[in-house]
Amino acid sequence: MRYRRIPDGDNLFRHSVYPVSFKGPRFQSAKLWRLIDDQMSVVTSVAWQRYVPTARHVHEYGCRLALARNERKRSEGKYQDSSRQIYCGAYQLSARAVRALAETDGLGEIASANVVHRIEENGEIAHAELKVTLKSTGSDVEGTKTAIIDRLWNACAGPMAHVCECDVDVAPHPSGHLTTPPSGQYLDTRSYLSCLWFLIGFHIRSWYWRTFHRQRAL
Amino acid sequence: MSAASNRVRLQTLVVLDSGLELPDGALLSPPIASDAQPHRLFALSADSSSATTTKPESQILRTTFSSVPIVSNSELREEYQELGVALGELLAMDAGDEWRIEKPVYYVACHVAAELMDYQYPAPEVFTHGPKSVVFNWSNESTNLYLTVSADTLSALISTPQRIQRRIEFPTKQLFDPGLIFPALRSAQLEQPVVSIDKAASDLDD
Repeated sequence: MRYRRIPDGDNLFRHSVYPVSFKGPRFQSAKLWRLIDDQMSVVTSVAWQRYVPTARHVHEYGCRLALARNERKRSEGKYQDSSRQIYCGAYQLSARAVRALAETDGLGEIASANVVHRIEENGEIAHAELKVTLKSTGSDVEGTKTAIIDRLWNACAGPMAHVCECDVDVAPHPSGHLTTPPSGQYLDTRSYLSCLWFLIGFHIRSWYWRTFHRQRAL
Repeated sequence: MSAASNRVRLQTLVVLDSGLELPDGALLSPPIASDAQPHRLFALSADSSSATTTKPESQILRTTFSSVPIVSNSELREEYQELGVALGELLAMDAGDEWRIEKPVYYVACHVAAELMDYQYPAPEVFTHGPKSVVFNWSNESTNLYLTVSADTLSALISTPQRIQRRIEFPTKQLFDPGLIFPALRSAQLEQPVVSIDKAASDLDD
């Protein structure tokens, strides 16, 4: 599949799910990101605003994410109510902030940082892959991961807290514990027309993908 | 790699006789023990082309530990017991669990935690990147200190929302001489020149 580069000015969202991003009842910002080793790179997932054009779409993605994890646990026979995954909200950052990692002082071991549109096998068309490629400098990769998640958190804005319909019985809901990153709250500064444009584009792309790409994949 | 990322190694250390003259502005504190000679340490930091500030040992110790919050020993022990339990839980997770840590990481993390307690660091928050490391984290209003512990390396990161202030790597074999690591970490946290006390050099003075 051809991966599409996400423009610098576009927004990305990282979803926070309880208990993964929490320690007990407290939100732990460092646990918002999970970086996976991929040869000389580390990768993680975000959602691209072009395919989650409104807050409702962002949250629907998050609710599906938590639901899918719970279903997977159920199918493995490992599901417990106490470890139920609960979507709590999302944080925004820009594609530009991701690419800026490669020019960050103190992160000289990063060769490149990029974010590309990469539709997941489960059909999440908003899924994008954030990939940081490392130079072979011999420096400690685990320490680099820590530095990356620290910089990503500082580039985030939010939270956009949310309670999914399936979690209305959870009291107190952990979304109340999400904290505001140093960059402050996320403000959607798009005009009404711009939002409408995003929404129309989203529906056309969704229809196109479901009609053609999915059939090809099947 | 940029100057912000340093690898700390054993540093040259000169122990001078107490009779030598101190630079202007240096304070001479009483020795730690009444029968001890007041040693003065010249530490050469990684970027030093000339000798750095000269301070009596007792002054260095007093300065580097000045930011330690006063926490009672029992409170500290309790906090570290909780940390020990958390590390144990990370080790005991199911084999397929993505958050499970490897045994060598667990052992090094326990060792580091014990040293941190000895050096009166408040108990850190803990998280992992996966099986190969554990991260200890302390934060105040604007500064974060992370200590990433893997089986063979300790990586310290000090950052503010604006920038990475400092990164330091220590091979875990230096844990056999924790006096090299933890005071250096404290100094780095305070943006002071990294000072290591070389036992061998100190012993020469005896």
